[in-house]
Amino acid sequence: MIASLWLAAAMILLLLSSPAVAADKENCLMCHKYRFVGRIDENGKRFNYNVDENIYARSVHRNVACRECHTYITKIPHDPVTESVNCANECHIKPPFSKEKFSHKKIIDIYNESVHAIKPEDSPELREAKPYCKFCHLNPLYTRVDEKLIAFEKTLRRCLNCHQEKGVTQAYKHMTHRLRKKTSRSHQELVELCSKCHQDKELMGKFNVSKKSLEAVETYNRSIHGKSIALGSQQTADCVSCHASNMLHDIYKKDNTKATIHKDNLMQTCKQCHAQTNSWFIQIAVHPSIERDENPVVYFAGIFFRFALYGSLLSMVGLMLFETFGRKRDGIKFLLRHGTTWRGKSKRFG
Amino acid sequence: MSNSTGATAISANETPADDDYFTNVEGVGFIPRDIYKYVTSDPVGDLPRYSVHIVIQHFLTVATFMVLVSTGLPLYFSDLFWAPYVISLFGGADTARLIHRIAGFAMIFTCAYHVLTIICGTVRRILNKEFDYKRTQLPRFKDLFDLIHDIKYFLGIEPYRPKMEKFMYKQKLHYLAIIWGNSVLIAAGSALLFPDIMAKIFPETLAKLLPTAAEKGGSFPAFFQELARLMHADEAVMALIVLSFWHFINVHFVPGRFPFQWTFFTGKITREHQIEEHFLEYIRNLEEIPEEREYIKGLLREKGFDQSQVVSVSDLPRV
Ligand code: HEC
Ligand code: HEC
Ligand code: HEC
Ligand code: HEC
Ligand code: HEC
Ligand code: HEC
Ligand code: HEC
Repeated sequence: MIASLWLAAAMILLLLSSPAVAADKENCLMCHKYRFVGRIDENGKRFNYNVDENIYARSVHRNVACRECHTYITKIPHDPVTESVNCANECHIKPPFSKEKFSHKKIIDIYNESVHAIKPEDSPELREAKPYCKFCHLNPLYTRVDEKLIAFEKTLRRCLNCHQEKGVTQAYKHMTHRLRKKTSRSHQELVELCSKCHQDKELMGKFNVSKKSLEAVETYNRSIHGKSIALGSQQTADCVSCHASNMLHDIYKKDNTKATIHKDNLMQTCKQCHAQTNSWFIQIAVHPSIERDENPVVYFAGIFFRFALYGSLLSMVGLMLFETFGRKRDGIKFLLRHGTTWRGKSKRFG
Repeated sequence: MSNSTGATAISANETPADDDYFTNVEGVGFIPRDIYKYVTSDPVGDLPRYSVHIVIQHFLTVATFMVLVSTGLPLYFSDLFWAPYVISLFGGADTARLIHRIAGFAMIFTCAYHVLTIICGTVRRILNKEFDYKRTQLPRFKDLFDLIHDIKYFLGIEPYRPKMEKFMYKQKLHYLAIIWGNSVLIAAGSALLFPDIMAKIFPETLAKLLPTAAEKGGSFPAFFQELARLMHADEAVMALIVLSFWHFINVHFVPGRFPFQWTFFTGKITREHQIEEHFLEYIRNLEEIPEEREYIKGLLREKGFDQSQVVSVSDLPRV
């Protein structure tokens, strides 16, 4: 049983007018615009159900009415919610060039084939651990590229000959933020997203995945791709650059022939950035791990270099200190007089 | 006077300690081994050491090295707290990568320039019949003996430092290390910059040469790339450590050199330093520079070293 605290009860009475939000035909924001709308469950955990109109109005779903996703809400004030949103819902929006109602069916189909799809034979634990749509897509994360970089005014001048500014700007933004890059999330956000699960060795260890797979994030972070991304590069590869095609959700295990990382497809995958890709190049490890049994020469070379490093450092500094003491005994001092050098009386030989 | 510095014969019938103590230079007299304590040095340098090309190359090397280190290290240590700050100084990761490449090419240019200088200088000397391998960076057994001698000196066993050539053992070691280091950095760096092209050139060629090894699985590219990643980073860290803990301290911070040696700037070395650590080169300077000969004669006279030694001189060629 859920002991709900109707914190917003008083607010229902405050029929304050709010700036119109395109999607909010059903007036849900009447209550949900308040910063502290929410509840506290029986364990004392707090939930905040505030929906910021300004953020919502800029999100990709701005034109979708609340109830097209939250279909289970049928009256206002509504009952405590027990269902969750289904991304397969159809909404009222009809995309241009099509007569069907819009839904994410196509993507769901791809997802359902990918490694992250929940399959009948999966254990409950595995089901729990796999990312469903809503794990990867929460609105705050779904931010768009910096549109300052797009020369709107200049580009849209022609369009305005026929279209209203508002509509055409939106149409243009809708297209351009998908045109410029494979993903509109930043590389850093994507690495962070995949790392949430794949970095968690304890979680992933439960599912009978290979050692390579288990260490994927660690090894990626050690690679030049990972290091550059960590420092904010916009040009190197994130997880999605290599693990998914432009369909974005077609992530498979490497032995699946559809996988971008399958050895037959790697050439295509690397070619996105490495123009001279060849059959030799794709054999280079991009999740590098120097294992003793797999790559003994490099493994021992690494150890040798460590020794060479510390060895030469120690012997050089040793020689230098030794020389310094020897020379000081000979009467040579640190002094700022007479240019570079000044000599005193030798302590040797009387 | 011949090239084998016959002029530096030493007196034979002295006590062993004195054997090394005086060096008879024809037309100058007997120069005691600790004369450097009496000379007055111009801090900016008295005697020629490096040509203007070498000075320029040193500047280029310093500049490119510092840029390379400060753009490369943060990438290598990207998980350390300071890395993002350093990278942001260079305008972000992508700009830093670009700068790193430009500096890399500048460094390669400097290397080529240096090699060219050395080749031209050597050819010129050979043509003028002035070439003497002892004045070059080529390692010799004498360097090993000098090192042992020096260690004994610092321990207090030997009374004087060894008589060394223009480049002493430390410098030769360092120079060899730089040749090795630069070759590795350039080779591994091009594998990191053009992994696709290098994977074709190097492993493929090798596979043709060693078909049996290549058959065992195409681990060649992965192997070489791993090696390149390892060596590029390790060599760079090594170079940084050697330069900051050894080269810099040795050149500027040890007693006698502190606070600064101007040689890298003026191309000149102080007289006192030349006599102490490059005595044989100083003897050559005496041959080549008449003013220096006058100076040292005056000094010997002033310090009373000119009459004291009445010895017969036998021409023992130096080691
Ligand atoms: C009369 C004020 C009011 C209006 C209007 C309103 N809500 Fe709510 N809503 C609340 C309050 C209060 C809660 C927290 C109550 C709870 O958890 O039972 C809440 C909770 C929710 C939740 C979260 C439930 C959960 O437990 O996850 C959703 C989803 C939701 N509302 C959607 C909507 C939608 C969609 C509309 C418009 C059709 C809407 N609400 C209109 C007051 C309102
Ligand atoms: C594109 C579909 C979609 C639209 C449109 C939409 N939501 Fe949601 N909403 C979701 C999803 C998905 C969740 C996550 C909870 C779930 O799975 O049910 C959610 C959760 C919420 C929650 C609860 C937050 C929580 O922490 O559980 C509230 C409150 C809410 N929505 C209000 C609104 C309001 C108000 C609108 C209209 C302005 C709206 N939603 C429009 C999909 C949508
Ligand atoms: C010559 C006038 C003209 C210009 C200039 C023009 N359009 Fe259009 N546009 C139209 C017409 C007319 C339609 C409707 C076509 C139809 O329904 O068959 C349309 C339809 C569209 C649609 C589909 C809208 C929908 O809901 O079906 C988009 C998107 C669009 N235009 C974007 C643009 C953009 C972006 C530009 C500038 C690069 C542009 N248009 C320039 C006349 C123009
Ligand atoms: C493993 C994480 C993950 C899961 C699970 C996931 N997605 Fe995505 N999805 C992404 C990423 C990453 C993008 C690219 C976002 C960007 O452009 O920044 C994306 C993009 C999208 C897009 C926009 C496509 C485009 O070209 O702009 C849609 C629509 C979408 N996902 C729907 C879904 C649906 C529906 C599901 C559930 C079946 C789902 N996603 C599951 C990671 C995921
Ligand atoms: C919610 C957690 C979660 C997120 C987020 C997630 N994954 Fe996964 N991923 C899993 C689980 C669990 C498996 C194991 C599936 C199995 O073994 O059947 C998996 C498997 C994989 C595999 C196959 C590895 C193998 O050895 O089976 C790849 C490749 C992969 N994920 C890539 C990604 C990428 C790329 C992203 C980011 C876009 C991502 N994942 C985000 C949980 C996640
Ligand atoms: C430069 C391209 C590239 C990037 C970037 C990359 N991967 Fe990979 N990944 C690969 C390739 C290629 C393989 C196959 C390795 C092999 O054959 O051993 C792989 C293997 C994997 C595997 C094991 C898959 C299996 O079936 O065994 C997982 C899990 C994985 N990567 C996750 C990630 C995650 C998470 C990220 C981001 C943090 C990431 N990868 C970034 C190219 C990439
Ligand atoms: C999104 C673009 C992108 C993709 C996809 C990509 N790379 Fe890279 N890769 C880069 C960039 C950028 C660099 C850095 C090159 C530089 O700084 O010169 C790089 C560097 C490298 C290097 C040299 C550095 C090192 O650590 O050895 C190798 C090898 C490499 N990539 C292999 C691969 C392979 C193999 C694939 C395919 C599985 C791949 N890359 C896919 C962008 C990409």
